[in-house]
Amino acid sequence: MILIVSKREALPGRGVLVVYLGALALALGLCAGMLLLAGKPALGGLAVLFQGAFGQAHSLLDALLKAIPIFLCSLGVALCFRMQIWNIGAEGQFALGAVGATWAALSFGGLPGALLLPLMFLSAMALGALWGLIPAVLRLRLGVNEIISSLMLNYVGILVLEYLVFGIWKDPASFGFPMTSEFPAGAQIGRMGASLGTGLLGKLHWGLLACPLAGLAYSVFLGRTRLGFELAACGEGERVARYARLPYGFLVLLVMGLGGALSGLAGCIETSATLGRLQPTVMVGYGYTAIVVAWLARLKPWPIAFTAFLLAALRVGVEAMQLELQIPAAFGQIMEGAILLCVLAGQFFLTYSVRLRRPAPSEAPS
Amino acid sequence: MAVQHQQHLQHDPDTGPVDVLPLVRLAGVTKRFGQVLANDGISLSIMPGRIKALLGENGAGKSTLMAMLAGRFQPDEGHIEVAGGRVRFDSSRQAIAAGIGMVYQHFMLVEDMSVAENVLLGQEGGFFLNPARMRAVVGELAGRFGLGIDPAARVGDLSMGERQRVEILKLLHRKSRVLIFDEPTAVLTPGETEALFDALRSMSAQGKAIVFISHKLEEVLSVADEIAVLRRGRVEGEFLASEVSSPADLARRMVGRDVLLDVRREAVEHGPVVLSVRDLSMRSVGGALLDNVGFDLRQGEILAVVGVGGNGQQPLVETLCGLTPPESGQVELLGESWSRFYAGNRWKGALAWIPEDRAGLATCRGLNLTDNLLLTTRQGFAHGQWLERGRATSTTGDIVREHNVQPGHVEAQAWQLSGGNLQKFVLGREMFREPRLLVAEQPTQGLDVAATEAVWQRLLDARKTAGVLLVTGDLSEALLLSDRILVMYRGRVMGLFPASDAVQVERIGALMAGLSG
Amino acid sequence: MSPELVVALLAATVQAGTPILFATLGEIISERAGVLNLGVEGCMALASFAGFLVCHQTGSAWLGLAAGGCAGALLAGLHGLVCQVFLGNQVVSGLALTIFGVGLCNFLGTPYVGQATVGFQQFAVPALSELPLLGAVFFRQDALVYLSYLTPVAVWFLLWRTSLGLGLRAAGEMPAAAAAAGLNPLRLRFLGVLLGGFLCGLGGAYLSLAHTHLWTTSLSGGRGWVAVALVIFAFWRPGRAVAGAYLFGGIMAFQLRLQASGTNVPSSLLLMLPYVLTVLVLVLSAARARSAHGRGSAAPAALGVNIEPEG
Repeated sequence: MILIVSKREALPGRGVLVVYLGALALALGLCAGMLLLAGKPALGGLAVLFQGAFGQAHSLLDALLKAIPIFLCSLGVALCFRMQIWNIGAEGQFALGAVGATWAALSFGGLPGALLLPLMFLSAMALGALWGLIPAVLRLRLGVNEIISSLMLNYVGILVLEYLVFGIWKDPASFGFPMTSEFPAGAQIGRMGASLGTGLLGKLHWGLLACPLAGLAYSVFLGRTRLGFELAACGEGERVARYARLPYGFLVLLVMGLGGALSGLAGCIETSATLGRLQPTVMVGYGYTAIVVAWLARLKPWPIAFTAFLLAALRVGVEAMQLELQIPAAFGQIMEGAILLCVLAGQFFLTYSVRLRRPAPSEAPS
Repeated sequence: MAVQHQQHLQHDPDTGPVDVLPLVRLAGVTKRFGQVLANDGISLSIMPGRIKALLGENGAGKSTLMAMLAGRFQPDEGHIEVAGGRVRFDSSRQAIAAGIGMVYQHFMLVEDMSVAENVLLGQEGGFFLNPARMRAVVGELAGRFGLGIDPAARVGDLSMGERQRVEILKLLHRKSRVLIFDEPTAVLTPGETEALFDALRSMSAQGKAIVFISHKLEEVLSVADEIAVLRRGRVEGEFLASEVSSPADLARRMVGRDVLLDVRREAVEHGPVVLSVRDLSMRSVGGALLDNVGFDLRQGEILAVVGVGGNGQQPLVETLCGLTPPESGQVELLGESWSRFYAGNRWKGALAWIPEDRAGLATCRGLNLTDNLLLTTRQGFAHGQWLERGRATSTTGDIVREHNVQPGHVEAQAWQLSGGNLQKFVLGREMFREPRLLVAEQPTQGLDVAATEAVWQRLLDARKTAGVLLVTGDLSEALLLSDRILVMYRGRVMGLFPASDAVQVERIGALMAGLSG
Repeated sequence: MSPELVVALLAATVQAGTPILFATLGEIISERAGVLNLGVEGCMALASFAGFLVCHQTGSAWLGLAAGGCAGALLAGLHGLVCQVFLGNQVVSGLALTIFGVGLCNFLGTPYVGQATVGFQQFAVPALSELPLLGAVFFRQDALVYLSYLTPVAVWFLLWRTSLGLGLRAAGEMPAAAAAAGLNPLRLRFLGVLLGGFLCGLGGAYLSLAHTHLWTTSLSGGRGWVAVALVIFAFWRPGRAVAGAYLFGGIMAFQLRLQASGTNVPSSLLLMLPYVLTVLVLVLSAARARSAHGRGSAAPAALGVNIEPEG
């Protein structure tokens, strides 16, 4: 038998779904295997995972809340990936956003919310953007590989956050726990409860609004503006960019700045709305999940929203596994990694078709 | 005049014994790529001690045929025989073992390795390497066949002619009996070409079978013993070189019609100077890229820049087209200094550039035709920051129709277009910018006759509104189209003269090789 | 600082540099063969656990080491499968590999946190350990450190003095040339990835078997990423990798020593040092590669580019 690989003329419509579902099934199988390896029930574990993720209304709601920072970071990552700028630094930019928001909240606590919240957004996005711009400038000026520099800045960013929380920002009344004092009311993003009643939906906070706004801006920017077009064209390579006189350097700065700002915004929302104070537990790896989401969604905004929710739900499900079966939280990482690996491999079948062919009798090896 | 091969040999007294077996025989070989029939029932015999030219235009199926001989593809139908026995090559290794060696058009050399390492790659003869011994082996081999080269040199530092010698050494070391050369002269100076032909003759005299793939008629006539013409994937004729009366005769056999190419070249009145270059110099770590280059170009004329690739054409074009600022000297475009001209960044009525690399530079393979149109014309479809995609799509449709680009829909992605269609699209796009200065690099390289004619006609038409700078390695193209010819060698202008100056035109070959005397 | 302190610091430098050295050499092999493996961190993490587990179960440090190497090679093989066979993007696949590997290490390792293992013990090399200064720094270490002295030479020998190395480099510079020479570049690349993963695995195993002798999660702590950066610093040459690895070993040892001495400098700032240094090292290598001396400092020409099927 001969395996014949050839390039497809066009991407099949329904084929994409088949490939993704197949890859997902394979990844789930792999993860079930890992559960067995750790001496846990495989099928039971996955059942708890799905039950925990999608079983109840409140878990779905929890997933929606977790999806907010993932979605925002992922949009930022996708913007950079569009240009083949490998920004792995969403985690650090997220941390700096949290730091920026906290700085504003602690420094201008007396301001009314209408002033203080915008100020927090602004300082969070500015710091996030700054953190994103460092690798961008190093790449443009000196040709430093942005993958490693942005990743190193993740470690540094998280340590900056810890330095502040363990040090000058530590709440004297926290009994030595590394956390700032609780933000003043004006610095906390409100819950929708007031308008939606005290039901489940009341748990949602207004930070959710940032998602449709950012998503809309993302698709309008890429689809309708000149700069957005230039960005997509730059993704085809620096040589083409030079030929077409595209502002390559400016665009690198722009996407890294915007990407950093979006991650910073996510950090701000998470700190202000979810925790109400800054503490190291704000860093739970949303920035890395965002990269997985961006690639799985092939950098498109609607799929990013959907995938962000899905992976957020996965996190909720893993929490349930942790509680019920004492399965370590790292199981979530395994799932993310396995899904991404399987989908990456599966995408092969979107570009290439593979056929098996029996060699003709005349061609039998001599 | 397609006569059976064996019959010729019997008639020809110079071929030696009549009962010599072919080293390699192709029997009804067919190869398809999807819908495309690349090779259609090809039968050929390759004899020891003979130089066989495989003549055909680009796309005639020469390269596919040779790739099958080299073991890179397997035939869909038919088979290959080596020394009378039927073989099937599943890999290059098997083809090499059977004594078939190939010098590709794009050299298969690792630039960061030495000559010796390249020659012995895959044939080291043991797990452990002894660099001194490797150099000695390769040096001895080079000496034996009179191919002067330093075995310790890094291939990336060598000239194209020297690299070709490395490729030949690879085959000689493998004791290949059949040596296949794919367009070997494309990158050589006339002098290097002569040296190559001498080497081919001497190898053939030592009993090697040589296959020489080309579309250059004069070369084929000067070196080949036998000629096989390939057209649309079929062997259209096979005959001895001595039977061909003239290049025109050969051309008729190759193209299958009488007149090779017909472009109407009427004089156009010359307008103002659109490009003026004075004392332009550029240096790199290795030396001068451009050395005091100077010339003028007027509206209404075509100035051809000829020379062997890598003699300064690329830095010249990149400077003129705004990629790199001039280091010293002046460049004036449309009467403005370089920096002023490129600060303005006008998309229309200024400069358009048709680069050599149409698939990797002029277009984005992953974008559709509308987006590829926008690549250089986006300013014309922008209202402030907003992009008018609808208008861009309809303009793309117009260009696709007007220039007969296939497939004829604007949603097609660039990679789905053939080279010729892509070039027609690029030309249409660049002419849409109504340039007053047009820079075209190797605009017909790799195109079939029909597409070549179309491109030439467009370039001639462009003279009505623009000055055209034609950078080409194809002398006949330069002579056919241009008003004046500029010869470059090592970044210097070796000569600048009217294309009608027969005396100077005669010397182009010498000028390209750096001989000014 | 007293002389004893300096010697102790230098000896600690060698220890801290050893796992980074193994990983950097592994990544050099992989990248020389044309495959960018950003999953080094994942390979090291998984290998550190595999090494610990096997040593813990069997009591044999050498079996643990072998298990670590195999775990690294196995994970790298996954990368090879995704990128070389299924033509996935090497950057993204490497990241996924890191997420997967680190996750797997923490997932499987959680029940063992805090448990100790014998691992490798230090012993003095006769004669050599009596050398002034050098003896105390280099020759009163454990077997893995001694192994790490030989590895750069072995890697150099493999890449530049064997036909396999020639083929590996050809597959990384120009796969088509390797194919035309009758080699199978895909197979060579896969081999390069596996070998590279094995060495990264040795580096990971060192962490649990010789560095801590104690299982905790996240042992690798970014060392894999440092190794990826050091490959650029080393210009893909084993000799320079040694310098880079000990530079980082030095800063890590220094930082630990300073923390242990009860300094006023907050630990978060000290912990930042290696990461900031990584960025600095990248800046310096980029500057050098751009200068006139930068010849031969370029990445393999086909690094990160997958081999597409023909036809």
